[in-house]
Amino acid sequence: MPKVAVIGLDSVPPSLLFERLLDRLPNFRRLYQEGLHGDLRTCDPPITVPAWMVMMTGKNPGKLGIYGFRHRKPGAYSDGYIVNSTHVHADTVWDVLARKGLKSVVLGVPPGYPPKPIEGGSVVSCFLTPSKERPFAYPEGLKQEVLDVTGGRYEFDVTFRTEDRDGIREQLFEMTENRFKVAKHLAERKPWDFFIMHEIGFDRLHHAFWKYFDPAHPKYAKGNKYERIAEEYYEMFDSHLGELFALFPKDTVTFVLSDHGSKGMEGGFCVNQWLEQQGYLKFRTRPSEVTDLDKADVDWPKTKAWGWGGYYARVFFNVKGREPDGVIPPKDLESEKRKLTEKLMGIRDPAGRVMANRVFEPDRLYGTAIGDKPDLMVYFDDLNWRSAGTVGHDTLYLSENDTGPDDSVHSMDGVFMMGVPGRDLGGKELKGLRIEDIGPTILKLYGLGYGDGASVDGRVIPEVVEACR
Amino acid sequence: MNKYTTVSIPRALHKRVERLLEGKSGFKSVSDYVTYILREIVEMHETNRPPAPFTSEDVAQIRERLKALGYL
Repeated sequence: MPKVAVIGLDSVPPSLLFERLLDRLPNFRRLYQEGLHGDLRTCDPPITVPAWMVMMTGKNPGKLGIYGFRHRKPGAYSDGYIVNSTHVHADTVWDVLARKGLKSVVLGVPPGYPPKPIEGGSVVSCFLTPSKERPFAYPEGLKQEVLDVTGGRYEFDVTFRTEDRDGIREQLFEMTENRFKVAKHLAERKPWDFFIMHEIGFDRLHHAFWKYFDPAHPKYAKGNKYERIAEEYYEMFDSHLGELFALFPKDTVTFVLSDHGSKGMEGGFCVNQWLEQQGYLKFRTRPSEVTDLDKADVDWPKTKAWGWGGYYARVFFNVKGREPDGVIPPKDLESEKRKLTEKLMGIRDPAGRVMANRVFEPDRLYGTAIGDKPDLMVYFDDLNWRSAGTVGHDTLYLSENDTGPDDSVHSMDGVFMMGVPGRDLGGKELKGLRIEDIGPTILKLYGLGYGDGASVDGRVIPEVVEACR
Repeated sequence: MNKYTTVSIPRALHKRVERLLEGKSGFKSVSDYVTYILREIVEMHETNRPPAPFTSEDVAQIRERLKALGYL
């Protein structure tokens, strides 16, 4: 039986890892040159939750019923809930392996709180863990080991405070170094056939520092003090990675994967203000200052649609019988969706150019879309503009994030690398890889699948199976 | 009046439940098991019990964090 290890890098794009930084990163470079690599197409929406679960279950977000970190409660105008591990009902790679008596180490894969027990496995929850005081590991006793190997300083995430970049930088490096202390401990001390670790630090590095390290960012300033922070962070990670690889059994097949990419943010597009301009959203009292839509005085019985902010926009219609003050008869919902889609496709950027927007209806996009899905999903200008849900701005276009420091948005391609010990695969580039393919491919290496009727969207990547033969 | 009525479920599902119950104690029949499961789920919906293991403070704190990161 093979051993497989996955190093999960949240939000790493090919442009950074394969192009700009590879030469400085000996361990990543070896995998790139001696293994297989390629761009890894993410899911719609390109968001951490659900992307890692799409990867590990082989199913698209519609089948999982997971569309982001937060979902709307059915029928509610403002009430929502945070997605957690119990919302994932499909089998992951480690669930399938556990049924065959194979053991897994699962470190920080989101959504991973509360930690789901797996037979014979070791699980540490993810960055959505509320605090270190909670039971964040399975078996429960593992929590103390995590705290012990990090001197009590294990952190799940960094805290963002506007313009305190020094603080974020310090937390970021310490968090990742402690993650590796735990990863090395687990790799060495726990029995495993499958090992997966996830690092959220890359995503935080990109969101907090992109404009400082990317000369192509509209706000880049040459010579700024964080100009080399990407080099520093990736180099730190690479050196720990080398030490971790050395602890893996000699026959371990290793994957390095990211769930989506990142790119510089153009700005924020005020989706609700635009909906107001178009006559879809009405206020009883117009907000005089910037405020969340939740807190604004919306005239619901006169409102046809509203939107949520984030890296993509979720749009909800106010439907009779579904929402408390619904106005759109259910029979008109489809035609309303079409009309609004047309309008969304005509939105222009501040320079007057028509944005490259994309609009999806979940049922059409996924085939089946269960759970608390939006009526429409919208990418503004190929994701270059994030969706700003707040209202009370005097413009539709924000040059900054409306909710905090933010310099990057998400992009559709992440990274894929894999290597087989003792085999030079020649650094071949694979095309057409999708995150749905990862789970089925890993299971195939164990001679397994998700089982009949699992209706998996991914395919087994033949080159990977061939390389391991 | 009889306290019970009949609902239809697919035969294949009935078989699956039967097989499942072979290894379990505490359920006399498929009907017994289905009633138990249904009661749990209906109660969850009726009481609007949050499916999340987060307290309201957790939710507020996580929301702030996600918001600061640009996710909301």
